[in-house]
Amino acid sequence: MIKEFTKGLLRENPIFIIVLGLCPALAVSTQVVNALGMGAGVIFVLLGSNIFVSLLKDFIPEKVRIPSYIVIIASFVTIVDLAMRAYAPSLSKSLGVFVQLIVVNCIILGRAEAFANKNTVGKSVLDALGMGIGFTLALLVIALIREVFGAGTITLFAIGNFDGVIKIPGLVDSPARVIGLSAGALLVVGYLKALFTWAQNKKRGASS
Amino acid sequence: MKSMVAVGGKLAIICIVAAVILGFVNAVTEPVIIENKKEQLQHALEQVSGSRPIGERVDVPDNPVVKDYYPLKGPEGGKILELIGTGYGGDMQILAGYNDNGEIFSVILMDNQETPGLGKKAEDPAYMKKYIGTGTDEHPVPLRKDQLPQAEADAVTGASITFMGLANALNTGAEFVKEIGETK
Repeated sequence: MIKEFTKGLLRENPIFIIVLGLCPALAVSTQVVNALGMGAGVIFVLLGSNIFVSLLKDFIPEKVRIPSYIVIIASFVTIVDLAMRAYAPSLSKSLGVFVQLIVVNCIILGRAEAFANKNTVGKSVLDALGMGIGFTLALLVIALIREVFGAGTITLFAIGNFDGVIKIPGLVDSPARVIGLSAGALLVVGYLKALFTWAQNKKRGASS
Repeated sequence: MKSMVAVGGKLAIICIVAAVILGFVNAVTEPVIIENKKEQLQHALEQVSGSRPIGERVDVPDNPVVKDYYPLKGPEGGKILELIGTGYGGDMQILAGYNDNGEIFSVILMDNQETPGLGKKAEDPAYMKKYIGTGTDEHPVPLRKDQLPQAEADAVTGASITFMGLANALNTGAEFVKEIGETK
């Protein structure tokens, strides 16, 4: 049972192993705070959609299962979007259109189709948490690399006098700006994917 | 036939339940969102005005860029314009303070859907420095990247559309201020 949770973290990491949900991962990984916000949104939507898809798996007719999943997912995304606008306006501002785009994040539909409609609610919850946290961790790693090297900063939440921006001496004045741009996103994800594949192959080689 | 109705009916039930839930969430969050927006606008107006007293809003119909303006009542005069620019991600809401000769003295980028990390950087007050002091006949608003000093031109790389969208809106605003200044 516990492996339904842990599999999403590394072994079946949605970004680096299953390679799902790359578009938002590339787009919002420019700042660490965006990665955290996006990750939280995805975890919530994934949890909601996995629970409901799993609960309704006998009610939803086979023929219209994809539209039904999309309705469920879109509802949760709208709830997240409205709640963020009302109670976390600055986060909602910085994530912009990518909150609404969680609807078409392949991870969520992918887990509904590949897992939640075949498994119990309990397992689906664990799967959603694992996959969601795995996605968030992957996004964090990408964002950390891109922000540190591309801008020389680490942007977190502003608390009190702390404005949320950690400046890294030496890098902040002459960052490798390309890492922060779209091309840099592809480069960073490509190298990380290569690293994961290498680690996976090595492990496989050792066990066989 | 019968099965089609059953299948469609089930999908309809899911949609109806979803719609009811969303209606409820909307009813709860809408007043908070409107209140947030009002507060943001008020806060932004105070920032843009540079402590000059702000007058009542005047709507500008039939202008695709200038939505409305707030006359400033201090001895220096001037106006705050609410402008709609076209960025990379659609419309951008801009608040800009102008002197009566069209000179821009402050700019804030409000609602926008620019790309985080690229066009979104225009929300940083330091970004707007390139526009401050321009807008007069002697110092027009820089509309192209090659009209900027090298360091600032580099900073807008990757987000040229945001830069041009802002510049065009601010330029139209400057023309507007000069025009109604003359008719008075």
